Amino acid sequence: MATLEIINVTKRFGRKVIAADNVSLEVHDKEFLVLLGPSGCGKTTTLRMVAGLEEVTDGNILIDGVDVTDLPPRKRNISMVFQNYAIWPHMTVYENISYALKLKRMEKSEIDRIVHEVADMTKIGELLERIPAQLSGGQQQRVAVARAIAVSPKVFLMDEPLSNLDAKLRVSMRTELKAIHDSAKATTVFVTHDQSEAMSIADRIVIMRHGKITQTGTPEEVYDKGANLFVADFIGTPPTNFFDVELQRNGKGLHLVNSYFDLRLLPENEARLKGYNKDQLTLGVRPENIILVKKSKSILDTTALVVEPQGSHQVIAFRLGEKIIKIVAPALPKMEMGETIHLDFQQESLRFFDPESTLAIGD
Amino acid sequence: MNRKVNKKIIKAAKDTVFYLFLTTLIAGMLLPVYFIVSLSFLSTREAYRYPLPLVPALKTDFELTYGENGYILSVWDRTDKEYQTVLDTNEVEKMEVYIKARLGTKITQEEIRAEIARLENSGQESIFFTKPRSLLYNYDTFFKVTRDAVPALIRSIEIAALTILISLSIGGLAGYAFARYIFKGKDALRFSVLFVRMFPGVAIALPMVFILAKANLYDEPLGLSLIYSVGAIGLTIWITASIFMGIPKSLEEAAQVFGGSKLQAFMRVTLPLALPGLAASAMYTFLGAWNETVAAIILTQFKPTFSVVVYQTLLGAQGNVNLAAAGGIAMALPALIFTFFLRRYINQMWGGVTV
Amino acid sequence: MVATRSKSLRKMWGQATPYLLILPVVIYYAIFWVRPVIAVIIGSFTDASGVFTLQNFVMVFSDENFWPALNNTAIIVLFSVTIEFIGALFLALLINRKFFGSGIFLFLTLIPMALPAVATGAMWITGLTAHGWINSLLYYLGVLAEGEKIYWLGGIEPNPTKLLALVIIIDAWQVIPSMMIILLAGLQNLPKAAKEAGYVFGGNFMTVLRKITMPMLRPTIQTAVILRLISAIQIWLIIVLLLGFGRIPVLVERIVYYHEEVPGLNISYQMAAGYTIVVSTIVSLTALVYLRVSGAFKKEETA
Ligand SMILES: Nc1ncnc2c1ncn2[C@@H]1O[C@H](COP(=O)(O)OP(=O)(O)O)[C@@H](O)[C@H]1O
Ligand SMILES: [Mg+2]
Repeated sequence: MATLEIINVTKRFGRKVIAADNVSLEVHDKEFLVLLGPSGCGKTTTLRMVAGLEEVTDGNILIDGVDVTDLPPRKRNISMVFQNYAIWPHMTVYENISYALKLKRMEKSEIDRIVHEVADMTKIGELLERIPAQLSGGQQQRVAVARAIAVSPKVFLMDEPLSNLDAKLRVSMRTELKAIHDSAKATTVFVTHDQSEAMSIADRIVIMRHGKITQTGTPEEVYDKGANLFVADFIGTPPTNFFDVELQRNGKGLHLVNSYFDLRLLPENEARLKGYNKDQLTLGVRPENIILVKKSKSILDTTALVVEPQGSHQVIAFRLGEKIIKIVAPALPKMEMGETIHLDFQQESLRFFDPESTLAIGD
Repeated sequence: MNRKVNKKIIKAAKDTVFYLFLTTLIAGMLLPVYFIVSLSFLSTREAYRYPLPLVPALKTDFELTYGENGYILSVWDRTDKEYQTVLDTNEVEKMEVYIKARLGTKITQEEIRAEIARLENSGQESIFFTKPRSLLYNYDTFFKVTRDAVPALIRSIEIAALTILISLSIGGLAGYAFARYIFKGKDALRFSVLFVRMFPGVAIALPMVFILAKANLYDEPLGLSLIYSVGAIGLTIWITASIFMGIPKSLEEAAQVFGGSKLQAFMRVTLPLALPGLAASAMYTFLGAWNETVAAIILTQFKPTFSVVVYQTLLGAQGNVNLAAAGGIAMALPALIFTFFLRRYINQMWGGVTV
Repeated sequence: MVATRSKSLRKMWGQATPYLLILPVVIYYAIFWVRPVIAVIIGSFTDASGVFTLQNFVMVFSDENFWPALNNTAIIVLFSVTIEFIGALFLALLINRKFFGSGIFLFLTLIPMALPAVATGAMWITGLTAHGWINSLLYYLGVLAEGEKIYWLGGIEPNPTKLLALVIIIDAWQVIPSMMIILLAGLQNLPKAAKEAGYVFGGNFMTVLRKITMPMLRPTIQTAVILRLISAIQIWLIIVLLLGFGRIPVLVERIVYYHEEVPGLNISYQMAAGYTIVVSTIVSLTALVYLRVSGAFKKEETA
């Protein structure tokens, strides 16, 4: 298969809008890379530039080491699944899938073989003679995928392919896409704004914000080691809880203090903050890292505002000043609204951020 | 149970009132059309009667008696409810011509002779007989008598086709640009439809006489269609832009991604999807070009269009009102057929572009 | 080096595409619209021997028929556009309800639009003469007694108000369908949910129409009205077909009159050109004022 390199690519619309700002990234052979970010951050634009559907204002795009920046889409050896599928309503499923193969002047029998192969892979073997109007949303989605894998592209592009499906189908299609990728082994760029979708299918995640890449890493890396406040906030549900705290050093060690709690850091955490010499800090704690403890061991006592049972676990929300803090606790013992809860932070997964630059500290 | 029945009755009553209302509305709107259609089937004699008969007659009743010059032919007058004498002659041929031309009734000289024989043999003073009307007589005559009608019809079709070709190709390209691109002058393009219409069409037709004459296109179908296209292009831009806007851009992009050039993508994907809408746009253009009369009067001399011929029948000395009506209805027929198809595409045609 | 050159070429080509696509239209308009328009403009500012003069406009404004023509045109425009808009909106709302048979109903209402001007001319001429079908119908209905007749198009004392009213009604009859299809398309393309939300939140038919449907329909209404306004000011053919020249003078009728009816006069070309310029100025100003007042320009500034 192939690699994809995006080198210092910028895209402007008119004078004011910079949809992609000096974006550089490399997609390895057979990798499933997810481009993740909130709506409007420039994911689609970046993907469309790779596809050749959008002119690059500045920079270069290389597929397998060949500069394709100025090539039209058809000469780039890519394929794409569009957000609204873009399957052609006046052609049957078979014609949709075979369109590209016909343009490549393949033999009829070969075309037929490939169409049936990808149709089986995407489970639409029975639908080949239908027209798109006779298909459900999920089936149309499968046709779009089948059409895209039929051409055996060097790079496989997908723009929010699951966002038009209902929640349940979305989750099951996600697994299937991953399976299809594993058997087709295509270098893939997958765009989504849904972080849980990204976490569940990506080999690597690229997080974009305001047209720029803010972090690149495996799902574990971006989850555990968010490079800045934005990433830590964006990845994970419920999101990371943030506390503005003051660093206080007394005889016994380093404390993180605000008007609600006083957290004494363990030595290894203290070490992480060695080079940091401001006295304000933003502490980030994942919901599952705030734990229910006995009253005697707690650093923070409060009352549960809302309890959301989720079956396997429960989400407990409480108020801290202006903020609502959410924690994830085991399903049992079951908590009630208004019940007093005693909390502690798990020190091994605390995150520290510089409140001015918003960057993570001590990684 | 009872309430259900009540509800049903109320609904039925409401529906009845609603459809009665619609019927009245349509009847009112189309009353004038009914009369012109009816007029086109009336015989020349009846077309000038007052009050005008409400429906065309399907047959004509005759009375034959002896007269000073031979035989007196009388016909039943539906207005005055009596037989009225129309001819007193010995010549069978004269009778035949009169019955056909003035009464729009089918008859042959043999039949007339047979009736005369019947009168002679019966020994009575008069006999009565009835002959069926030839309802299409006016239409037939319009095309036969109006020397120019058939060539003008062909010319009008040619002009309409050329106008469609010119305006759809030129306007369609611009409509596509309007739907798919952002560019400087887009608003000017949109408002050009209005600009072009702000200058009276007749006032343009006059200097065009010289311009067309220089290009040897005066009194030629092509020349006229070039003029018609000026007005047609503007609306074609709007309509085709609406149509192309209705076809997602991503369909075309998908075709590019899957191996097509921009042109191939357009030809294989956008064009087939746009075709019904474009056909509707063409029909709309057809209506304009087919029905246009004023510029045609100014810009033709020896090669009039069909509309000019109908106009001359109507206002000129040669025509009768029923002939003019027949010509007008003949002319309206293709326009009506196209309108019938057109109605389904109103949304596509007008849904996209506004001022 | 080669790469950058091909890049800029492709870029230029890409940016040029829309302009290439509209180039035929521009050329076409230049030859077949701008040229004759300029010819008329020049004609309006020159005398018969081609010397610059404003005399033509002096003649137009002092023409005894100018002010009546302006007056008649204004009345016709005011009433016909209003009546046509209301009628078209009514029909569009009706058809938009999608009842059983609405397709056929739509077709039937479109018939007046499809009829050629000559056919409608024939229709009204044969209807409005003293022996015409309108009087006949009234007679059969018992409205008119035997021998009694209404002289629609004149008679002993031609009454301009009656004739103007006739012209307005006849024009409305023919024009309502073409206005209606624009409004109908606009209505059918409105998001259904907006209207439904209006009903859900307690609106009745009239409030939903006034507060939701009409404001959302505004661009469509502007389109329909401006197109109609522009052509209503230029109305003339039906008037001449029914009444001949000069009985109800209107602006464009004057142009045709000077050109077709009195071509021998050596000022007729100048008069026609002068009238043409006056008419197009009036049309443009009216259109501009309408677009301003109706807020069509504001939409673009915010967009
Ligand atoms: N054709 C365009 N013209 C102008 N601005 C655009 C265009 N396409 C996208 N943008 C702008 O570029 C930014 C990024 O858009 P996009 O790539 O679609 O974001 P995403 O896919 O991440 O939601 C947005 O602010 C959007 O408004
Ligand atoms: Mg997007």
